[in-house]
Amino acid sequence: MKNIGVIIELDKGRVKEANLGMITLARAKDVKLFAFVLDKQAISVKAVLESFGITTIVEICLAKDQQNNPATRAKAMINAIKKFNISMVFGLCTAMGKDFLPRMAALLDAPLVMDCFFVDLEQKTARTYQYSGKIIATIQLSGQTLLFGIRPNAIEPVKAQEKARILKFDSSHVFAGGLRVLKSGGAEKSTAINLAEADVIIAGGRGMKNSENFNILFQCASKINAAVGASRVAVDSGWVPYSMQVGQTGEKVSPKVYIACGISGSIQHFAGMKTSGMIIAINTDENASILSNCDYYVKKDALEIIPVLTRILDNG
Amino acid sequence: MDKKFDAIIIGAGVIGCPIAYELSKIGYKTLTVDKHTDAGEGSTAGSCAIVRAHYSTADGVAMAYEGFQYWLNWEKYLDNVKDEKGLARYMNTGSLLVKSQGHDWKKVQKNYDEVGVKYEEWDNDKIKKMIPIVDLHEFWPITRPEDPAFYNEPVKELEGGIFCPEGGYVNDPTLSAHNIMRAAEAKGAKFMFNAEVVDIRSENGKVTGITLKDGTRIDARIVVNVGGPHSFKINKMAKGVWEGCNIKTKALRHEVMYCPSPEGYDYLNDGYHMSDGDIGCYVRPEVGNTFLVGSEDPDCDPQEWVDPDTFYAGKGGHGKDNVLTEEQWKAQCYRLGKRIPTLSVPNQPKGVVDLYDCSDDWIPVYDKSDLPGYYMAIGTSGNQYKNAPVVGHMMAKLIDACEKGLDHDKEPLQYKFKYTDRSTNVGFFSRKREINYNSSFSVNG
Amino acid sequence: MQIYVCIKHVPDSAANISIIGKNSIDENVNFLLNPYDEHALTEAARIKNNLPGTEVIAVCLGKADAEKTLRSALAMGADRGILIAKEKNYDSRVTALALKAAIEHDGKPGLIFTGKESIDEGGMQTMFRIGALFDFPVATNVVKLDIEADRAVVVCELSGGITHTYEMSLPCVMGTGRGLNTPRYPTFPDVVKSKKKPVQKIAFTDLNIKASLAGMRVIELKPLYQARQPKEIKGDATVVAKELIRILKQEAKVL
Repeated sequence: MKNIGVIIELDKGRVKEANLGMITLARAKDVKLFAFVLDKQAISVKAVLESFGITTIVEICLAKDQQNNPATRAKAMINAIKKFNISMVFGLCTAMGKDFLPRMAALLDAPLVMDCFFVDLEQKTARTYQYSGKIIATIQLSGQTLLFGIRPNAIEPVKAQEKARILKFDSSHVFAGGLRVLKSGGAEKSTAINLAEADVIIAGGRGMKNSENFNILFQCASKINAAVGASRVAVDSGWVPYSMQVGQTGEKVSPKVYIACGISGSIQHFAGMKTSGMIIAINTDENASILSNCDYYVKKDALEIIPVLTRILDNG
Repeated sequence: MDKKFDAIIIGAGVIGCPIAYELSKIGYKTLTVDKHTDAGEGSTAGSCAIVRAHYSTADGVAMAYEGFQYWLNWEKYLDNVKDEKGLARYMNTGSLLVKSQGHDWKKVQKNYDEVGVKYEEWDNDKIKKMIPIVDLHEFWPITRPEDPAFYNEPVKELEGGIFCPEGGYVNDPTLSAHNIMRAAEAKGAKFMFNAEVVDIRSENGKVTGITLKDGTRIDARIVVNVGGPHSFKINKMAKGVWEGCNIKTKALRHEVMYCPSPEGYDYLNDGYHMSDGDIGCYVRPEVGNTFLVGSEDPDCDPQEWVDPDTFYAGKGGHGKDNVLTEEQWKAQCYRLGKRIPTLSVPNQPKGVVDLYDCSDDWIPVYDKSDLPGYYMAIGTSGNQYKNAPVVGHMMAKLIDACEKGLDHDKEPLQYKFKYTDRSTNVGFFSRKREINYNSSFSVNG
Repeated sequence: MQIYVCIKHVPDSAANISIIGKNSIDENVNFLLNPYDEHALTEAARIKNNLPGTEVIAVCLGKADAEKTLRSALAMGADRGILIAKEKNYDSRVTALALKAAIEHDGKPGLIFTGKESIDEGGMQTMFRIGALFDFPVATNVVKLDIEADRAVVVCELSGGITHTYEMSLPCVMGTGRGLNTPRYPTFPDVVKSKKKPVQKIAFTDLNIKASLAGMRVIELKPLYQARQPKEIKGDATVVAKELIRILKQEAKVL
């Protein structure tokens, strides 16, 4: 019997949706599933966790002034992992996870693969993206404790009802020297998503017709956590600033999904986005070259499609 | 589609489209075929689209000067046709030719005088005043960054330059070809895309038409090769044509770099097109306040002759495919970095790699061929973009005259420019000519 | 103070990556300085400007041709470089051990920088492993940094513009993010200067890094997408929008 641990990320006291796919992935025969909750909220999340197969919920209790401290959290987590003989640890590869899972791996001197979209528990392998998303790598981990940072929403959640017990793991004495949290949560910087780092880009070209219509793209982008890009024509016409240009003379991007709205797909534009995971083209011109070099295309006006898309996303 | 035309033009680039336009205007029923999906998507797209007058031959200068009239009056040239993609714009920046050992600038100046090109002589003080970011030391001879001599301290100063207030670039070369296509269509010209030519058919020593890759046969008594970097392959498809050319064409790989302007200098709005033979670079502004850095092909740089099909497929390996090489990126940017010491060179190369359809003497072949009915506008050698509308008009005159019985090989057509009060001997561009040693043997023509 | 900047020699993101055998890539493409490391070098140079007596040392674990990437780092303001020459690729655990050994052997780090991740393998962990080995505090995706007498105040960016401000004791390790600064790229005079700066070469094998059972091994690489096969989405705007949402959720898994 193996003990596998999942670190649950909460959002305002609720289990983030992304955890459920991760738990589904960690589930297997002859496995005892532990959920680790760092925010003293085990009771409120018990029902949802046990409905996905968790049998033990470990509530890690930190000193009040240490709750936000990623170094303290990592230290406390490691103690718990050792205590409960956990051999594999799953955590979400979110912004918080990126500041937390590698800390644990480093302290444990254990292997870690971040941004996994699949894990084979038997083979001890994980699949992740490498080389700006162009390559899928299968990585084998070896060691006493293996860590996996799971890409949020990569796995479809499947329910599996169990009954869970709650254990408290007092870590109020744990304290990480050297790092102190002065302030957290403050949004100091603009919320605009960086083109080069975005997982999804919605880009507009000639078909956007004017500057105002780009708002349609921004509205949709805010719903799907996307960045907004533009073709050279849109920049040359003064509709959007140069910093938004994707292409040979602009930014070179490799998002998971590139949605091209009213972009014909010149060679120069492709030079900046051809490494995108998936390309979706929306264009009224059926001769537009992008239609022959994409994954999905819609022969319609983006100005008609995108607002509908935004509306449906809005209504859940 | 109707499978019979008076003339088939192979290649819908910036030279092919104006030929179709001008032939249509004088009553020829034309079809332009291209393997790309739209006009100007081939090597036209990789052109720097520079419009400048300096050439090493008087005919070259005259033709470029004539070309200005077309770019300056673009709507008029297009007969006010509408293009749903908008119109390409000519950006007049003015053009500075640095006096250097890399250019035979005295010859250029003589040609300017002969043709009547407006220009000013700038001394170093004037250049510094107009372009404060430059260092006017002489860096000659041109070397590569791998060579220790590249880092030698300069000693001497340059001797100024020749500035033409007329000169600049076209902001979107692909769009300019598309504009001309729309203008040609308004005169009845037809265009066909995704159409790759695999055979030029002829009977009884006369061209009869083309065959496409999908087997489609299209007939015409006139076929014009404007295949750009593919020109030599198309010539070889036509019986006796390649063998009958004394001047041959080949595809030469060429890289152009984008490097951001130094902070605080608005190159996009305040800068000039500059030809700098002392460092082997030419530059023009590009959107995003960027320098577009071209190479004037100094002798120390390797010349990569490639197969165009392999190249465009991204194959052939380092320095042969369509991926920028780091060595050349550094060579061109660092050369410019000598002239502009505040120029910051990013670590990631950005630029364009495309092909020149290069002739043996870097002067184009605008001619008939040994196969009656088959014509060529090839060998543009990276220096003909600016002449495209003139070439369209001249080629239409040449084709019309030959079809009406002119023996152009014996009595070369004298082409009278529309705007400049001057004629040019079209025989200058003959396939039968001996190599023209007046040429610069570079992109400068 | 000595600032060590750990840099990585990575394939250009614009390069076409092709796979050789089962688990390696054709390395005959353009390699360059990992873009996130550019922010680290720019920041180190800025600190050096404000704190006279600071020395910036770029350290790289790489194959022999990584020297040119070290030269790029020198042109961006590092004073000297250390190349730990390796023959094959190692995981981030071994990488951290090697970097730690080389830094420790070389001097007394006041600050250690890395980029927040590399654009090739994207493991996002080397800075933490280095920190753990030295027992220095670590922060990643640093977008603002103030060095005071005995502490660093750093702002780290989480998603959606949410930030954390940490106070860290010195020495410390920092993974730099894009928001930290605008990279200051070298001019030609910088390149000329960098050619005279020293690069010390150490063989990886001389660092006596002990083998361990724990680790990560790439066993297979595969291209993400083969040639694209366009499929049309038909229907009215609502049908199309719903299908797009399905694709984003189920196929691309980005919603």
